[in-house]
Amino acid sequence: MPTVIMGCAKDIVEYCGVPRFLFSDFPLGNSAGRPFDRPSQAFTLELALRVLESAPAARTTVQSSLRWHDDAAWKLDFSNLDRMTPEQIAERRREFDDIKAVARAKREQA
Amino acid sequence: MAFAAEHDVPIPYMQRTRDYYLRLGYGAYRWAHFDDVPFSPLRRPLAEARLALITTAAPFQPGAGEQGPGAPYNAAAKFYKVYSESTETIPDLRISHVGYDRVHTTAEDPNTWLPLAELQQAVKRGRLGALTPRLHGAPTNRSQRVTMEVDAPSLLERCREDGADAALLVPT
Repeated sequence: MPTVIMGCAKDIVEYCGVPRFLFSDFPLGNSAGRPFDRPSQAFTLELALRVLESAPAARTTVQSSLRWHDDAAWKLDFSNLDRMTPEQIAERRREFDDIKAVARAKREQA
Repeated sequence: MAFAAEHDVPIPYMQRTRDYYLRLGYGAYRWAHFDDVPFSPLRRPLAEARLALITTAAPFQPGAGEQGPGAPYNAAAKFYKVYSESTETIPDLRISHVGYDRVHTTAEDPNTWLPLAELQQAVKRGRLGALTPRLHGAPTNRSQRVTMEVDAPSLLERCREDGADAALLVPT
């Protein structure tokens, strides 16, 4: 089955290895374009369709030309330990333990 | 022409995540990694092709906690079995169960993770031949064995049942 992936995590998708990948350099959650911006969503889909049509071989990545902001400072925030206090890290640990317990219970029910 | 800032590169998610979980006291996560990547050429023009949409978004589950825009990570909203929904309307799918960037985006506009409205337009314009009658949901199961041995075969079978010529996968 020919496939194309639209995504925002370039390193993870390429490390996995996929046939065709349209990469948007946006925060995770925006694989299909910018919020409330239909032209950006149409452009992103059209790029993905063109990658599906024209990729010559596996591991073809095309990067969208769209930018999230002119300033790239947002890229420094995601799970960045240098930007967290020890208290925040401890809080994250507690949250993550809770999340894992809930997910485990849900998976066992399924 | 000025150089871009040094940090203006795709976020190194693997390194950030590895460092983050180690500091939190967890073991290293092992991502899926293949040396052999199969490639199937598209066998007909897109204007004549039928496309399947595969998403990691979850159907809204009443009683499973906050799932709306900006909701905290909600493991109770996860799903562990492949599901299918009609592509004729827009199903109510959410992404509170995955680790999207909650600092810089709020998941207010479903079109940012589910391009179904755009795909419907593409069919109307004649850019795409058709959508399959169903879209399919891929569980974000942390078991790679279950993903490869159970979920992926089920997704492929459903795409084939629907006569798909190709699939568009949109993970969040």
